[in-house]
Amino acid sequence: MIEVKYFGAIAEKTKCSFENVTSSNISLQDLLQDLEEKYKFESLSFSVAVNQKIVSKTTDYALKSNDIVALLPPFSGG
Amino acid sequence: MNAYTRYNRQIMLTEIGEKGQYKLLKSKVLIIGAGGLGAAILPYLAAAGVGEIGIVDDDVVEVSNLQRQVIYKSSSIGQFKVDEAKAMAEELNPDVKINAIAEKLSGANAVYLFENHDIIVDATDNLKIKYLINDACLITNKPMVYGSIFRFQGQVSVFNYQNGPTYRCLYPDENSSSVNCTDAGVIGISVGIIGMLQANEVIKMILEMGEVLSGKILVYNVLNNEQQKYDFEKNDSFVMDRNTFEEKYSQKGNTVEEISAEAALGQIDNQEVLFLDVRNEDELPKIAFKNSLQIPLMNLENEIQKLKSDQTIYVFCQSGIRSKIAVELLRKKEFRGVKSVVGGVLKLKKFLKEEKILLKI
Repeated sequence: MIEVKYFGAIAEKTKCSFENVTSSNISLQDLLQDLEEKYKFESLSFSVAVNQKIVSKTTDYALKSNDIVALLPPFSGG
Repeated sequence: MNAYTRYNRQIMLTEIGEKGQYKLLKSKVLIIGAGGLGAAILPYLAAAGVGEIGIVDDDVVEVSNLQRQVIYKSSSIGQFKVDEAKAMAEELNPDVKINAIAEKLSGANAVYLFENHDIIVDATDNLKIKYLINDACLITNKPMVYGSIFRFQGQVSVFNYQNGPTYRCLYPDENSSSVNCTDAGVIGISVGIIGMLQANEVIKMILEMGEVLSGKILVYNVLNNEQQKYDFEKNDSFVMDRNTFEEKYSQKGNTVEEISAEAALGQIDNQEVLFLDVRNEDELPKIAFKNSLQIPLMNLENEIQKLKSDQTIYVFCQSGIRSKIAVELLRKKEFRGVKSVVGGVLKLKKFLKEEKILLKI
């Protein structure tokens, strides 16, 4: 099980602040692609963290069970 | 002695002491933006005795700001935010020198302003300007204390601290979009909390105490009090030097400056401001008051001698499109203080009726 956390405008698209993804043996890139297809983030940009560390979205990383992925868009209010 | 008494409660802290207080009094901090974040940051830095504080913002106080920008009063409406902020901070602590800079931060003034300060605080509300602040911090080698809000969530980080990671290392995509408070909505407490966390980072850097939020972004959710920190690393692939900076931020292709109808009308009694109506003479409703002038857009170039290039001019038309063209035209003729009124007469009308100012329909 992989937990995915959503923040800011991304969480408004997903309509939840986190969800659990059951598929195992999935790469980070594949997960992001699945989420994009499901939620259509389109022009919303975001950075991705795995286990509290920001990583490149194109990292060839095989997600493991209990990994926590976070999608962090920039905020701009002030 | 007086100074010692004023700061006694913080000098008592072993981490600060008289030496720390001296560091505070010697430091210079620049706050970009006198909105919700700035209104939270400024009083705490001034009260703590940060020696010199610059505040950059070219907006005037609007009634809709007061719900979160708590340093302003109802009587501040229509006044420049930086002037009101300066008055507040100086009354709070006369030891502190406050520089009110009623300008928009741009490629033209950023480097000069940053060079004269030790720490730069980003209290702005749009993404584009965050890249400008980041890049100007890079070439002047200053730390950038970042804070921003999305509804009930906030982010805080310190960029370029001792050559640490920058805003671009976290968010490389400069063309991304995000909504600001005006569009997304916000409560005062959220900006207050995030602004306070920024002020805390400023004080920690000056006093060299604790751990600075460098290479980490803090994300705070006021609805459930969850906060998390995410680590990020420096990415050296982006290079910013003075030439690149100047090329990127030179005035060419600058977007037209705008002002809201509410803010523009706040200056209606200001004799220094001219309201320029660029509609045709037969357009309704007719609007005329003491400092308004009508020159239809198509005649503007020929009648330009009726205007003074160093005057503050708010240009309006029916809906805000022709006024933008007029501003561009005036800019090309070296007019500096011109802004287009967003929404034009359609917006102005609403407030004019409220204020019962001459309106011939």
